This record gives sequence, structure tokens and C-alpha cells, in this order.
Amino acid sequence: MMSLQRINDERLILKNLQNIRVAYAIQTLGIIGVLGYDYITKGMDGMKENPLWIIFIVSTTILAFLSMNISVDYENNKKSPKRGFVISIVVLTLICTSIGFFTALSEGFTVMDGVFIGGIFLICGMVPFLFLFGIRKKRRDEFSDDE
Amino acid sequence: MENQLKIARVKVNLTQQQLAEKVGVTRQTISLIEKGKYNPTLKLCLKICYTVNKSLDEIFWVEKESNNDVITKN
Repeated sequence: MMSLQRINDERLILKNLQNIRVAYAIQTLGIIGVLGYDYITKGMDGMKENPLWIIFIVSTTILAFLSMNISVDYENNKKSPKRGFVISIVVLTLICTSIGFFTALSEGFTVMDGVFIGGIFLICGMVPFLFLFGIRKKRRDEFSDDE
Repeated sequence: MENQLKIARVKVNLTQQQLAEKVGVTRQTISLIEKGKYNPTLKLCLKICYTVNKSLDEIFWVEKESNNDVITKN
């Protein structure tokens, strides 16, 4: 089988990647189809019980993170990555604090619940910003000598 | 993309298969490059040039179309 041996030909490497892309698209469509069927027959909760839901969410998240590698190259690098990162963290902290605050005020929730929920949102929200900051910083270090 | 690869390859008495083995690709890739149907990377272009003892210029250079127009008009 061709795919078992190492491919050295650059044209075939590219072709192989294109094939994988087609397979990925079909697989994703299949997963969406199965999840859509589950949604119609069993509702939202029934759909989430399907392990395919986890696979779908994880692969979509990974794809989104990897896409940042591409979108960063399209940005103009005039702004310092640190400044952008600090602004995003400040905005995120404000949003998370208000979420936590309103959760604590809601009926049936304690102050601790508010702190927990706000904290979880903050940590989860920080991950993409940290990742983006890391790539931007790396890019800036790589290309700084031609500026 | 037109190129002079076929002529250069024949001059050094190599078949497509032999050239392909020397530069580490398949024969089909060499064939497609000769026909101008595949755009090789600079790395592969250089490997091919080293193998057929020619410069990049001699094998892969093509005049810019708009420049051609200017030249013919003058």
C-alpha cells in the first residue's frame, strides 16, 4: 500500500495532503449528518450523549487553533503582541467578572458559584489569547531582523 | 510553465526514470514538469539543475509576457 511507505516525492506529498483534506471533509459531513439525525430524533441532550459530539467539538477546536497560525501571518505586525494580549486579557477579565457577579446574584446560586463560573470562563478564555500571543511573539522574533 | 528540462535531460543522456531516481521523485513528476503541468519547488528545481549540469536560468527561465510585448513593439 502506497501510504505505508514513506513518500519522498513533493508532488505526491501535496497530493496526499489534498486527499486527506477530501477525506476529512467527508468525515466531518458524516459526523454532522449523524449528529443532526440524533438532534432531530433525540433532541439536544440525546445528541450530546453521542461520543461523536466530543470528537466533533475537539476536532473543530483544534482546527480553529491551527487556523490561528495562518491568520496571524495576514495581520500587519505593527502593534506589539504584548499590547494586544494585555488589552484582550483586560476585556476578558471584565466580562468574566460581570458573568461571575451576575451568577452570584441569580437565584439558586451562591457567591462561590459565581467565583467558580467566572474563574472557569477566565481560564478557558485565556487559552486562545495565550496561544495567539505565543504565535505572534514567535513570528515577531523570527522576522524582526528584516524590519 | 514552459521549460527546457527535456532538452537538457536528453543532452546528458538520462531517461525520465533515471533523472527521477537521482533527484528522489517519481517518473510521473518529471514527466509533468517537462510538460509544464506541475510547478516544482525551488528545492526540486535546484536538484534537477545540479543533476543535468545546467543553471536555473537555462532550464526554467521564461521571459515575462508583458516584457515580450514591449520588446516586439520596439
